[in-house]
Amino acid sequence: MENNIITLLTAALFIPLASAVVVLFFGKNKLGNNTSAWFSVGAMFTAFLCSAAAYIQLRSLGVNVESPRFFHAIDWLPIGGGEYLQLGAFVDSVTVTMFSMVTFIATLVLVYSIGYMDGDKKFTRFFSYLSFFTFSMLGIVLSSSLLQLFVFWELVGLASYLLIGFWNDDKEGPQLACKKAFVMNRVGDLGFIIGFGIFFVKLGGVVTLPGAEGLMVDGNPIQSMLGSLNHLLAVESTAAGLTGDAVYTLSNPPMWLTGAGIGLFFGAMGKSAQFPLHTWLPDAMEGPTPVSSIVHSATMVAAGVYMTSRIFPVLTPGARLFITTIGLVTLVMPSLIAMCVTDIKKVLAYSTLSQLGYMIVGIGTGAYTFALFHLFTHAFFKCCLFQCSGSVILQAHHEQDMTQYGGFGKKMPMTMIAYGLATLSIAGVSIPFTNIALSAFYSKDGIIAGAYNYSDAMGAAGYAAAFLFSLGPVVIAYITPFYMMRTFALTFLGKPRNQEIYDHLHEAPKTMWIPQLILVGTSVVIGVFFVKDMISPTQTAAVYANAQNVAELEDGHSYGMHTTHVVLGYGLGSLASLFAGWFIYKDGFGIASKIVAIPGIKQLHCLAYNKFYFDQLFDNFAVWISKIVATISGWIDAYIIDGIVKASASLTRGIAIIVGKNDKNVVDGVVNYAASAAQDLGDVVRTAQAGRIRLYVMLMIAASTLATIIVTILSIFYSG
Amino acid sequence: MTTTLANAVTEIGPMHYMILSFIVLAAGISTMLTKRNAIGILIGVELVINAAAINFVSSWNFYHPEQLDGLAFGLFIVVLAAAEAAIGLAIILNYYNNFASVDVEKGDDLKG
Repeated sequence: MENNIITLLTAALFIPLASAVVVLFFGKNKLGNNTSAWFSVGAMFTAFLCSAAAYIQLRSLGVNVESPRFFHAIDWLPIGGGEYLQLGAFVDSVTVTMFSMVTFIATLVLVYSIGYMDGDKKFTRFFSYLSFFTFSMLGIVLSSSLLQLFVFWELVGLASYLLIGFWNDDKEGPQLACKKAFVMNRVGDLGFIIGFGIFFVKLGGVVTLPGAEGLMVDGNPIQSMLGSLNHLLAVESTAAGLTGDAVYTLSNPPMWLTGAGIGLFFGAMGKSAQFPLHTWLPDAMEGPTPVSSIVHSATMVAAGVYMTSRIFPVLTPGARLFITTIGLVTLVMPSLIAMCVTDIKKVLAYSTLSQLGYMIVGIGTGAYTFALFHLFTHAFFKCCLFQCSGSVILQAHHEQDMTQYGGFGKKMPMTMIAYGLATLSIAGVSIPFTNIALSAFYSKDGIIAGAYNYSDAMGAAGYAAAFLFSLGPVVIAYITPFYMMRTFALTFLGKPRNQEIYDHLHEAPKTMWIPQLILVGTSVVIGVFFVKDMISPTQTAAVYANAQNVAELEDGHSYGMHTTHVVLGYGLGSLASLFAGWFIYKDGFGIASKIVAIPGIKQLHCLAYNKFYFDQLFDNFAVWISKIVATISGWIDAYIIDGIVKASASLTRGIAIIVGKNDKNVVDGVVNYAASAAQDLGDVVRTAQAGRIRLYVMLMIAASTLATIIVTILSIFYSG
Repeated sequence: MTTTLANAVTEIGPMHYMILSFIVLAAGISTMLTKRNAIGILIGVELVINAAAINFVSSWNFYHPEQLDGLAFGLFIVVLAAAEAAIGLAIILNYYNNFASVDVEKGDDLKG
């Protein structure tokens, strides 16, 4: 069974890579557009079937606390002392769920792209890049160690660079956006490398994921980061002479451990676009819409959240406080921006940022099971929302400003249905006074429960701002329905505000709206059917005894209690928020412009409308500093380094002249003599090669006769 | 079975086949040496090859009939001869295209 699952997942990992390579090299010339597109779709669907089979097999082994996990690795790079870095697979319920989700969404995005990218001159290459992107993400999910994860991590960065800048031929926007995404990610990765380096050196090269702790392979327990860390902390405490409460543990850690955890989280801040490295994500809207729909759901931004939840057991309270704070800022700020911007894709981008904030808050507060669950539910409806926005943009001739929209619902009913249901899903709408709801309700609820719990614990520890940790997620849960309803109403309801665009509207092609309906249908049902057990990461005592997290959620504000807490208010509250969004924006911007004119709200609107001036801050401050550094290094380059180079160059020239003379007279003399001798010999021998066949035959017979005679004489000589 | 001069006269043994094979070989070589016609040379080559085949088959028959090596080589030689003929004819065709003749003396463009 174990080998079965690992084989299936490995197949699901490499099938997209194979299809990417085939389509890249043979797509345009041999296969043609249509064949390569459906080939990619077919390969991705096969990968999905493999993942789903693995999921079913793993589930059949049992769920919940002692969730089954497997580890399989081979030796990769020697690091001295007979130790090897390992290349392998770590599989538990999170892995198989992520695999199924990523391949499912990638399949639908590929189908959608057939309609969206129709007529593009780099059509086949787009499918190849998307398959490669999916492969990289799956690699992250299957990795057994941080180092291996980092390799795929960088591949994800590369693929996103290629895809965001896909339309780079004549437009400057995509070129700048893809560079920005790449550089922002490098900044985060620097932190990752520092954190990784600290762990690598301190733990003597043991970077196997903490989740594998306690597993047995061939009768030997696996050495994971967690086990080595506990061992190291004990050794360090003894060396420092600590006793009693002062002994180093994960809840009373030395400084370097907190630093290393924050460092690793910096990588996630780049990939999952957390404040202050978030500005690349809205700019990434320059890419084709299918790219946005996969980047924002299943692949890139998911990578950071996934990685952070994997290293959760080694995070210290300090690191968790840092993570929660960052998550909270990312949760609140983009929601305010999303209420102001009028570009439909930008609204969705800021809403993604806000939802990522939820996930990161979930991890920081210890409800990381729900963070992964939210990642999972969010992937479906956000992918659908982006696909719908793409259909709208394509039909509106690349007009993205909602001030030009209005009344699209009559002409694009399928897109409207999909978008509307996805809006209700992201809002987490529930039937008032019950806990029957759409998917985001369940996942957000778990995160809010975790946040309550964490806020209590921090408040008890005397942390003054602790109440914010519970307030933020709750308030944003009420704001999200408002701004999502706003985009829906502005786009699909009311009267057309631009008659010319409205007159040219048509329903999107079938390859576009069918994936949307599938996605939104899945999104609606997963919440109900899989509620909480969907993702239950390895929660064995061996792994989480030190981490003090899952238990907190169970006995503090537990899931059930919190639900009763929430059903009273939230069902009505979210409906009210949705109603407000519909009421204000159902006829365009008339009412909104009156509200914005109120003092106080006006200033806040201005701030949010300008995205809190973060882009300007980076431009004027960071870019300015790097220009000064560049000038100084330019000067050093021109006068100091060039001086050294020139001096060494003239020295080299002097030596070269001497060597040249020697070369010409001594070395060449020998060579020339050998050459003329060879030519003389050739003149003699070549007379035999004159094309006279009968001469050849004669020489051949003479030679073989001679050879026979010699052999005969020799044999007589030796035998006699 | 040993072959003596006495029974060589009365019954057919390996020696007869070797003599036959030698005659065919000599005929082939002399054809190759004397003919100016390329097709004639090709025929000479065929004779040389078949001389070898006769040797193989007769040796198999008289010395090791229980092993199939000699017979197998005989078959291989037939296949080889066919391939050789095909290639040889192709060369001759090209030769004719270049020199408008099958006289091998005309093809002395190599500056020996």
